Amino acid sequence: MSLQLLLIGTSLLGAQAPQVPGEAPPGWSEDVRPILAEHCFECHGPDPETRAARLRLDTEDGLVRSARDGAESELLYRVTSTDDFDRMPPPEHSAGLTAGEVEVLRRWMTAGALWEPHWAYAPLSEPAADAAHPIDGFVQARLEEEGLSAAPLAAPRDLIRRLHLDLTGMPPSPEDLASFLEDPSEVAYAARVDELLASTAFGEHWARHWLDVARYADSHGFTIDGGRTIWPWRDWVVHAIATDLPFDQFTMDQLAGDLTPGATRAQRIATGFHRNTQVNQEGGAKDEENRVHAVIDRVATTGAVWLGATVGCAQCHTHKFDPITQAEFFGLYALFNTTADSGVSSGPTMLVPRTAEEASKALAWEAGWTDADAAWRAAWDAAGAGWRVWQPRRATGSNGPELRAEPDGSYRVVGQSPIYSTYVLEDAPGAGPLAALRLEVLPDGGPGRSGNRNFVLQEIRVERLAAGAEDWSPLPLTAARADFEQDTSADGGHHYPVAGALPGSGLRGWAIKPEFDAPHAAEFLLAEPVEFAEGDRLRVLLQQEHGARHTLGRFRMLLAGEDPGADRDLVPAAWKEAWTARRAQARRRPGLPMTMVMEEREVPRETRRFHRGSFLDPREPVAPGVPAALDRFRAEPGPVTDRLDLARWLMDPGNALVQRVTVNRWWQQLMGAGLVATENDFGLRGARPSHPELLDWLAAELRDSGYSRRHVLRQILLSRTYRQTALTDAALLERDPDNALLARQTRRRLSGEQLRDSMLLAAGVLDPKVGGPPVQPPQPEGVYAFTQNRKNWKPSEGSARHRRSLYTRIWRSAAFPFFTTFDTPAANVTCTRRVPSRSPLQALALANDPLVVELAAAFGARIGALEAASDDARIDAAFQLALGRPPADAERERLASHVRSVREARGEEAAWFALARVLFNLGEFTHRP
Amino acid sequence: MSEPLHHLSRRSILRAGASGIGALALGDLLARDGLADVQRARLPVAKAKRVIWLFMAGAPSQLELFEPKETLQRLDGQPLPPSLSAGKRFAFIDGERAKLLGTKRTFTRHGECGAPVSELLPNIAGIVDKLCFLRGMQAKEINHGPAKLFMNTGSGQFGRPSMGAWSLYGLGSEAEDLPGFVVLRSGGRGPRGGAPLWGNAFLPTNVAGTPFRAQGDPVLDLASPEGVGADEQSDFFAAVGDLDRIAADRTGDPAFRDRVKTYELAHRMQTSTPDLIDLSGETQETRELYGLGDGRPSFARNCLLARRLVERGTRFVQLYHTDWDHHGDPGNHLGEPLERRCKEVDRATAGLILDLERRGLLEDTLVVWGGEFGRTPLGEVRDFVGRDHHVSAFTLFMAGGGIKPGHSYGETDEIGFAPVQGAMDVHDLHATILHQLGLDHEKLTFRFQGRDYRLTDVHGRVIRDVLR
Repeated sequence: MSLQLLLIGTSLLGAQAPQVPGEAPPGWSEDVRPILAEHCFECHGPDPETRAARLRLDTEDGLVRSARDGAESELLYRVTSTDDFDRMPPPEHSAGLTAGEVEVLRRWMTAGALWEPHWAYAPLSEPAADAAHPIDGFVQARLEEEGLSAAPLAAPRDLIRRLHLDLTGMPPSPEDLASFLEDPSEVAYAARVDELLASTAFGEHWARHWLDVARYADSHGFTIDGGRTIWPWRDWVVHAIATDLPFDQFTMDQLAGDLTPGATRAQRIATGFHRNTQVNQEGGAKDEENRVHAVIDRVATTGAVWLGATVGCAQCHTHKFDPITQAEFFGLYALFNTTADSGVSSGPTMLVPRTAEEASKALAWEAGWTDADAAWRAAWDAAGAGWRVWQPRRATGSNGPELRAEPDGSYRVVGQSPIYSTYVLEDAPGAGPLAALRLEVLPDGGPGRSGNRNFVLQEIRVERLAAGAEDWSPLPLTAARADFEQDTSADGGHHYPVAGALPGSGLRGWAIKPEFDAPHAAEFLLAEPVEFAEGDRLRVLLQQEHGARHTLGRFRMLLAGEDPGADRDLVPAAWKEAWTARRAQARRRPGLPMTMVMEEREVPRETRRFHRGSFLDPREPVAPGVPAALDRFRAEPGPVTDRLDLARWLMDPGNALVQRVTVNRWWQQLMGAGLVATENDFGLRGARPSHPELLDWLAAELRDSGYSRRHVLRQILLSRTYRQTALTDAALLERDPDNALLARQTRRRLSGEQLRDSMLLAAGVLDPKVGGPPVQPPQPEGVYAFTQNRKNWKPSEGSARHRRSLYTRIWRSAAFPFFTTFDTPAANVTCTRRVPSRSPLQALALANDPLVVELAAAFGARIGALEAASDDARIDAAFQLALGRPPADAERERLASHVRSVREARGEEAAWFALARVLFNLGEFTHRP
Repeated sequence: MSEPLHHLSRRSILRAGASGIGALALGDLLARDGLADVQRARLPVAKAKRVIWLFMAGAPSQLELFEPKETLQRLDGQPLPPSLSAGKRFAFIDGERAKLLGTKRTFTRHGECGAPVSELLPNIAGIVDKLCFLRGMQAKEINHGPAKLFMNTGSGQFGRPSMGAWSLYGLGSEAEDLPGFVVLRSGGRGPRGGAPLWGNAFLPTNVAGTPFRAQGDPVLDLASPEGVGADEQSDFFAAVGDLDRIAADRTGDPAFRDRVKTYELAHRMQTSTPDLIDLSGETQETRELYGLGDGRPSFARNCLLARRLVERGTRFVQLYHTDWDHHGDPGNHLGEPLERRCKEVDRATAGLILDLERRGLLEDTLVVWGGEFGRTPLGEVRDFVGRDHHVSAFTLFMAGGGIKPGHSYGETDEIGFAPVQGAMDVHDLHATILHQLGLDHEKLTFRFQGRDYRLTDVHGRVIRDVLR
């Protein structure tokens, strides 16, 4: 059979489909596309590089033409053929379509093969909401279809416990519980919802979700994993959520706060979101490689968090399933490829004042710094008057160092610090004469890399490769001069004259001891000016083989077509003074925290597509932009050229995808699973929403409420759907184990953070202090045995041990084990959902971990001090404190027997510790009802 | 539910075991609730009682280790000739532009069976007569996460139980004091895919793999709190269990019942695990056999722990060793990084198999070694030289557990692109392993959402040619 049947005119588009009586035809999105995505798109999908036979089955043009031929189509023949060579998918690829899947295709084609865009990229359906509470209306409608009914409302005690745990991460205090039990009316419930949504504790608990998303940690990652300061960003998140900063602003500040006109300090702190990428401090780590990794991670994270898209797949090749090309990946990449941060160090950072007084100090210092830096740059440029800066892209050092081109035209040498190295700079400098070279060495990051900051330039060689020639020819140098030469011969050292750097001089090279804290310059004259033609290449080699790392750490190279002469100061006093003033200003920096922020690079970088994702293989330039398939909502798409444009595009009221992804994640936090189960993949292989209308209604609420998180959560929390009981009926559990139909609530284990905070609260020792540097609660021995970089975990003293878990220090290489045991994600990549696990290690942690033991002791002391007439009364009171209800008789008796036996063996104090410990370990304590 | 699970404690089940029924599986427990019938999945004979799976995460190159190809050497640097590309379809590679890559490694035939193994694995080469090579393995998923899920669960998407979980479900565990399914990790980082690789999915929670920590102490919090004696600790666990049972009865939520079992296991682990992980009783000779070094966390230490686990009745031990993804990036290519990976596992792998054998354990312990897919005969030249992911053909080996020793099954074409005979997919591998464990892969099912799920879905053949 030939392939000609694949091509049929498009005249059928939009035509009415003939209906099969009594049976709805399969839908493209629900039924057909999942089959094709599973079996076909890998070779016949969006990726042109892997597309076989030029056949594309994921677009209307590509597929529908091939399918409109009904039962006679090539497509049906291919998927049903028994000929191994004709059959699709090929036998070595997979077992092929099932009979049921083929039947779906057949019926869909017979009915006219109607195509529609992917649901997630379509505009909101703006569903009508007629029920008293729209959420319940949508849920109820679905339950009725399934012949099910909603569960009864949860008991007031369970409901209020659930609400507090969901919003603040902790159960209600005894007073908060009692007041609700006195008046559990809907009005009182709604008032409590509002109260909690406006609390700092809500900001703290929901910040924890966002910290997962942002891969937040207090360390740089990789094997060295040194500490970093970025907790001011964490505190910004707490405050933003607690005060209901609208989600559009929340997004724009974090992605592009620094680019906002008149950016405030808070907006710049917010940009820490994407500074939560790792920094590699290992000796020999490549700056550019690690910087590129960070940028890629920013793209992938932005994709997962806002677009629900596995954008990262398109790094190396066009996405196999979703309509994102590799070029479009690099369009997004280009938006993030403009910042000043590096892959191997923590800058840029910004002062974080906490009081008005500190703020004015910070402002004054920053103004002084800006001035001092500008003065230094001006004096520097003046010193090089008559020269032009030469900064070839091709700049390498032998034995591993990396020459990082700085926006000021200099090179900062980073990474490996070898004993010897020869630096090589090379490019075509353009047409014109070359008469002299000027080498400036700078104290900031240099001048040298030896222990005392010295260097020895043994030899400088200058070479030219005429366009079309095969061999380099040396350009002889005849003279050299420098502003300063080391001469320590009087102290038993040697003279290191600049003339020594001339090839064949036979002298020692140029060095500068002890003048390390000032800029220096050396100038080298060619025997005679050389005329460079366009395309001629210039190569300069700086040989530094003195040993002991006497290599340059920071330098700038300049060229002149005419020798400016020796009759001037190579390093004018004004330049030196500007350096001294700048350094003095740096040393006057107020002792405030410095948080990591985003800043644009002074000189923009060009983005090129990396062939197969490898940064070592850059190909054609790519302009910034967003994927076209996700941009259909804009009638007149304007350019998206920087991070601020991107943030505005994400928060465009027409961007339904972002709204859906956002409300879905919030729903997930409250209901246990999203309406779209694959919360980070709204693409073609992702799950379809269980309640599409409900999802779209929530998304519209977000948009229409001015992006108020508080408003959307309030809608969910007030619904009957949220308030129903988690009581499980075996038949329902069997029928709908994942609770996709929402005929009940779900009982869920608390996170490690919630567990610890609940214990702190029950024990009465919680230190509610908000924000600030991270703290170290106790943790077991043996955590760091054998880790590469043993972390010094000195447990905090006093109430700092009892801060909320949000404030526990996070080392990427060795996360706090109690939390890890309870599924806190590693902070390496974005995590949009914690997948709960159960293991005996969790039971061991709750039973024996020093953290639990310490808090059980505190709770035990509190129990022992309660006013109670009898053991039973004391047990009742303790039970009430931990679980918010009195024990049943059987429960009380069992606890009393444990208390008695421990008391007999170890006395009164131990007995109440033992009671506290059992209470902390109960399923009812560790689960949200 | 007809009869609450908790009426039947594990101890009573194990007592039943002593009276001749054999260790009851969790599936048997569930059978009492009408949820499952694992008896029907049992085969009359089980050649293997336990599995140790050495999972080389990232996918080692079969072409550098086990599969010398003369034609590939000859065509090194050339594009794929049309005679070979005819009828072949590519997933990732640009078949027209990529070049074939011969190996730089030297191969020698070893043992009586004459199996070729490269210089990179001298110790494994020394025991080839105990191994069975599967040279025509085929995978399906082209990226690491899905491929590892596929290798473990028979599906590239989340939501299916892992093979270890299925094994526990079908057979139960003989380890009273330790988890029946333990996961050990070594190498630079955890395997891509994470906990779902050893998850229970819809099976009961207590068949999930228990991951030991990859650094520091493998298990934390094993000591009772200071001052708490054995009696108090026992009564503590008992009290928690008793109150959770009350909660289970009141709410009907199976989560509470699962919790009771988890706590019981935790209590037993507390006494048995310190003994398990204390390697001081191992002789110097044994330590050298595995290449244990200073006892830091390593693949070698995990191999020794695996032996100690199966000695204590653990049914399924899975060792992940990461960073075999040798594409050709710096630090990630077929030169020194591959050599280093091989050094890390070669001696320990051979040591484990020899140690099991001399202790009489190899006979009924099935050892599996391999990655989630293979690597392409076409080279990938980035900064360094490497190979891309390849699902059409790769090599795994097995040993012990009733598998034919000194044998090779399957053969690939002259450049190692695809099998010409003896193709075996992941479902076949699963079917064969379950068969050796005495389980019929078509009958080991679990009813979930109205469907009877199995590890091999609707696929899988027991490859009898590899059976002893």
